[in-house]
Amino acid sequence: MGTPAYLDSPPAGDWTVDELMIAVLASCFSDGDQACNGMASFLPVAAFQLAKLTHAPDLVWLAGAVGLEPRPGPIPASTLEAPLWRDALMYVEQYGDFWTLALNGRWLQKFCVGAAQLDRFGNANNSVIGGDFHAPKVRLPGTAGLADMGSLDKRLYYWNPNHNPRSLVAKVDFVSCAGYLGGGDERERLGLSGGPELVVTNLCVLDFEPDSKHMRLRSVHPDVTLEQVLEATGFEPVLPPGDVPTTPEPTAEQVRLIREVIDPHGMRHREFRRR
Amino acid sequence: MQVKKTTLAEAASLVSDGDVVALQNMATQAAPMAMVRELIRQQRRELGLVCLVGGIALDWLAAAGCMNRFTGNAVSMEQFGLAQHYRHAVEDGRICMEELSETALLARLGAGARNLPFLPTRGMIGTDLIDINENLTMLEDPFGGPPVVACRALVPDVALIHCHRADRHGNVQYEPTALWPDVGIMPKAARRVIVTTEQIVDSDVLRANPDRTVLPGFMVDAVVEVPWGAHPTSFNPLYGYDAALHLAWVAAAGSDNDVAAFLESYVYGPDDHEAYLAAVGGAERMAALARWEAG
Repeated sequence: MGTPAYLDSPPAGDWTVDELMIAVLASCFSDGDQACNGMASFLPVAAFQLAKLTHAPDLVWLAGAVGLEPRPGPIPASTLEAPLWRDALMYVEQYGDFWTLALNGRWLQKFCVGAAQLDRFGNANNSVIGGDFHAPKVRLPGTAGLADMGSLDKRLYYWNPNHNPRSLVAKVDFVSCAGYLGGGDERERLGLSGGPELVVTNLCVLDFEPDSKHMRLRSVHPDVTLEQVLEATGFEPVLPPGDVPTTPEPTAEQVRLIREVIDPHGMRHREFRRR
Repeated sequence: MQVKKTTLAEAASLVSDGDVVALQNMATQAAPMAMVRELIRQQRRELGLVCLVGGIALDWLAAAGCMNRFTGNAVSMEQFGLAQHYRHAVEDGRICMEELSETALLARLGAGARNLPFLPTRGMIGTDLIDINENLTMLEDPFGGPPVVACRALVPDVALIHCHRADRHGNVQYEPTALWPDVGIMPKAARRVIVTTEQIVDSDVLRANPDRTVLPGFMVDAVVEVPWGAHPTSFNPLYGYDAALHLAWVAAAGSDNDVAAFLESYVYGPDDHEAYLAAVGGAERMAALARWEAG
């Protein structure tokens, strides 16, 4: 066995923020977990594969919530279409299999969530922005599986490649995925366990203060200042005592795997808004 | 056994103005697009659509003014972005969207299929989706556990599906592929079922692999042979989605004239399915899609 190469590997030096975000998400998934992904989920898909190639070879992946343990090639342009789930061991039928596994609670206990808006208590919105639900200013795609995953005792890992005051807000316009609702023990009082664990953005990593359930800054990425994070956030996150830690850089081996093996076509860059 | 084999035009006559139409579709995958184009050509109006994740089919139906309501989980063309016509129609109040979580839609359809008044789910609790929807309500567990969300039965007037092969009696087979719930439950909930198929085969071909048969002919009202019938969506394993046609639609979305020209070229203009296939690139283009090269 020996030590996995990535543990001995020095920091990459020439990493980019997409690779750092993938490395942080990968660290959330371990042997014995089952992970699944939905549409347009390049960073989670890369993270699951990175975890499997490094510290979590026994992480089970349900690609596109369809294909059990596929042998994927380079990440394709869709994270829902067949090329992602090629050579799968099983096709999991959504009605009969997938939601039975997810609802059961024993399986698929962690879920990565991407959404247009996320608020200080970890509620997410992929439904409507502004106005009335039936005449919104902006109609977003819709909640799909998020409204289930938020209420099913899962641990939620948010990723947001475009951290700004419109995507990280004090209060979402519409709760289409339940986080800690109004904070404190409100989620618990509804009989829901689990909840948001971590928020990984292109600027920083946040978690949730255990009592208030308010979002809390956990680390700021290298070359990003605390002021930049606060300016880009639509509310004041709880700050850790003392100096804010710096997010660890991805290692040279992690960066090599992402660039050469997992995503040589650079699909992950599609998640980042062009500046 | 009854013979259900017919034409696209005849099959479309089973869909009336105002009907609730359950449509097989998962973003860029597996929509019965030939039947969707036929409904647009026949100018059906005030349809209510039901999809898991509606894609370009919904955007065409919205742009052509065929629909006024939608029940489902999401509308998105994934890498090709939001369905802009659908989206703007919802923002303007021309289309009413009933937004459901995945387990809620499956519960509504499952109750419809089994003649139950509702089925419960534990999804959506705590979200804003429940209070705004008269088809959902919180329900005490009669056995003393935590409350659940009751999801009212949904019985679509008609389900439209596309399959790999069927016989002329409407017995339906799929190749090994993702069996999205719109195959497993939608047709069973609907009053009428219209099947388009890549190929109509002799019943003996089905008998060789009865485990591939997912829908019995007695549930099916019409079956139509339409090779490449899901184009421009993908139909695994036979062909991939047509990225170029999706991109052409996205590029046209900004201008009414461009949209009208697009619909004329690919929906209203071609006299039949063969003419449509010629318009989108013919045999050479289809061969590339069959190699999943154009995505």
